[in-house]
Amino acid sequence: MKKTKGIPMFSPNRRTFLQGMGAAGLAGAGLVPGRAEAATSMKFMCWEGYDSPAIIKPFEKANDVSVSIDLITDSPGGFAKLAAGAWRDFDVVATDSPWVQRMGPAGIAEFLDDGEFADVYEDFYPQFRAPFAPLEFEGKTTGLPTRWGWVGPTVNTKFDKLETWRSYAPCFDPAYRDKICVLDWGDWPIMPMALYAGIDPYKELDDKELNEIRLVLRALFKNTRAVVGDLSVAQKGLMDGSFRTLIGGGTYCTSALRKDGQKDIMSIVPEPKDGLNQGIIWMEAGGVVKDPVDGAKANALLRTLTSPEVAVELAWTEATCNLVPSQKAEALFTDEQKDVLQMDYMWEAWDKSHFHNVAPNMDQMLEIWSQELAAAN
Amino acid sequence: MAEMQKSWRDGALRLSTLPLLVLMGLFFVIPLIMTALLSFQGTQYYRLVWTWDLNVWTDVFSQIHYWKIMWRTLTMALVCTLLCTVLAIPIAYGMLHRLSRWSDQITLLMVFAFLTDAVLKTFGWVLFLDRSGVLNGTLESIGFPPAAVNVLFSPNATMIGMVYNLLPYTIFTTALSMARIDRDLVLAARDAGATRLRAFVEVTLPLAKPGIWAGAVLVFVLSLGVFLEPKVMGGGTSPLAAELIRQSFETRVNWPLGAALTLVLIVIGAAVLAVAGALAFWQARRGSND
Repeated sequence: MKKTKGIPMFSPNRRTFLQGMGAAGLAGAGLVPGRAEAATSMKFMCWEGYDSPAIIKPFEKANDVSVSIDLITDSPGGFAKLAAGAWRDFDVVATDSPWVQRMGPAGIAEFLDDGEFADVYEDFYPQFRAPFAPLEFEGKTTGLPTRWGWVGPTVNTKFDKLETWRSYAPCFDPAYRDKICVLDWGDWPIMPMALYAGIDPYKELDDKELNEIRLVLRALFKNTRAVVGDLSVAQKGLMDGSFRTLIGGGTYCTSALRKDGQKDIMSIVPEPKDGLNQGIIWMEAGGVVKDPVDGAKANALLRTLTSPEVAVELAWTEATCNLVPSQKAEALFTDEQKDVLQMDYMWEAWDKSHFHNVAPNMDQMLEIWSQELAAAN
Repeated sequence: MAEMQKSWRDGALRLSTLPLLVLMGLFFVIPLIMTALLSFQGTQYYRLVWTWDLNVWTDVFSQIHYWKIMWRTLTMALVCTLLCTVLAIPIAYGMLHRLSRWSDQITLLMVFAFLTDAVLKTFGWVLFLDRSGVLNGTLESIGFPPAAVNVLFSPNATMIGMVYNLLPYTIFTTALSMARIDRDLVLAARDAGATRLRAFVEVTLPLAKPGIWAGAVLVFVLSLGVFLEPKVMGGGTSPLAAELIRQSFETRVNWPLGAALTLVLIVIGAAVLAVAGALAFWQARRGSND
């Protein structure tokens, strides 16, 4: 049933149609009660980690619902899939926060009532409490934060001092030629380079500023050994010293290595340059997709994902370990886990960073990236 | 020619091609038409907008870097095809004649390597070619300086990966063609005084042409769409067309641009094959006239 003001209107989508057909068939056979019940299945689009049985199974049991998972491998691709019409098939999504925020203007978000989640916000660090601008569209909330970390130089202290990477300057130093790895993760490597060039990439940019970004990328590619999309290749290079840093990376890349005992590897944020913060805070968020089959259960899944116990599960996965917005969860981490997550450094990183948000000129920046990479070799 | 025209008038024959026509129509022609239609649309706020304009095509024809990547892709594909073909001929010949006792075992090993997942093989090459990898470790142990071979994350590494992954296509088609050659023809040439090399060049090679040609076409078409090798072994610094198309679809969420670039790549590939086909046809006709 499609929610409208006042009278519920029937507007079938593929799933409700099939469910209806199935129910009609079963009802004809006298196997189900005549009245429709709450949803028995829901569809969840998410990054790896959110699909952990330790998270999903208890939720399914508690809510008498089966959750089918659709894993995404890149946030823009997941958004494009939803925007192209797949929103009709999904109930909940967990992806990078700018893409959850973008669901608002795209008309595919079910806005959240902050009052309903007041107790959830109460458990969060003050920095993430409502009203939380990075997830708002026209004053309405598109989602709840789930995981976060920072983007900055990743350093293996066996090969370099941390102080060396208090700035992105070594990326352009001939001494580091062929030792820089750039992560091919959309806009992630572009943003820190724009900040190094003295440009805030999260505001509307003019041609002069875009040209500055072009020049800094051109200079970066001169020293770049590889543009890598695969995390394991990047991590291997960082461990053996063939890559001295990963541009566009950060805690997301180093935490799993630290978890495996590679404590020499750390993520930091550079010092502010000419008054401009050089670090970036990234965040993942969960949102409810427009017209969920059962809005209450979709909200319940969001509550589950942000609860302190589940937050610890989300923070500590095989592929990557990340911080969570739940302050209450902090007490549930062991000292070892806190060390791996560099929790003692997190607010310093926060203070020296921009929040990764919707960049108005993102497509132009990606085009510049593509042009400069094609010209580099 | 008259026989061919007659056969096409045969209703039963036309009927027998119907399943293939339906399959090609459903899974090749219709998607291709949809791709072409998509290239005339636009995007707004990462959503497809049905605009019916030429903006994307104007963009494609005005941006030099797209053509630079297409040219690089074409060059790499042609070099890869040449290398695979040249390498496949002696390997196939050796398998059939010089190592015929071990032919089955060699074929089995090649099939095993061929069917192993390309991701595993490509990452295996990374571990082998890395500065601190197996190859450099071995060389260092026999006295070479550290990291003597610095080929990983370069276009050469991409080519190694492409040839390694695609070589079986040319070996199998060439070997199949050579196996069907009547051995008596070669022996007759030898009896007439031809050296082994001359018999190979004048008898075996011309008769194996269909298999060599088929392998080359397969490798060329597959080379145009390589994705893993430039990304993983090439280090992503010299992107090829498949990566450009992926970026347009996924990272930029610009499906019309991705569709237009896909069509450009298909047209380039088809044009090259058409020219090569015409040359082969012309050569065969000249040969039959001689």
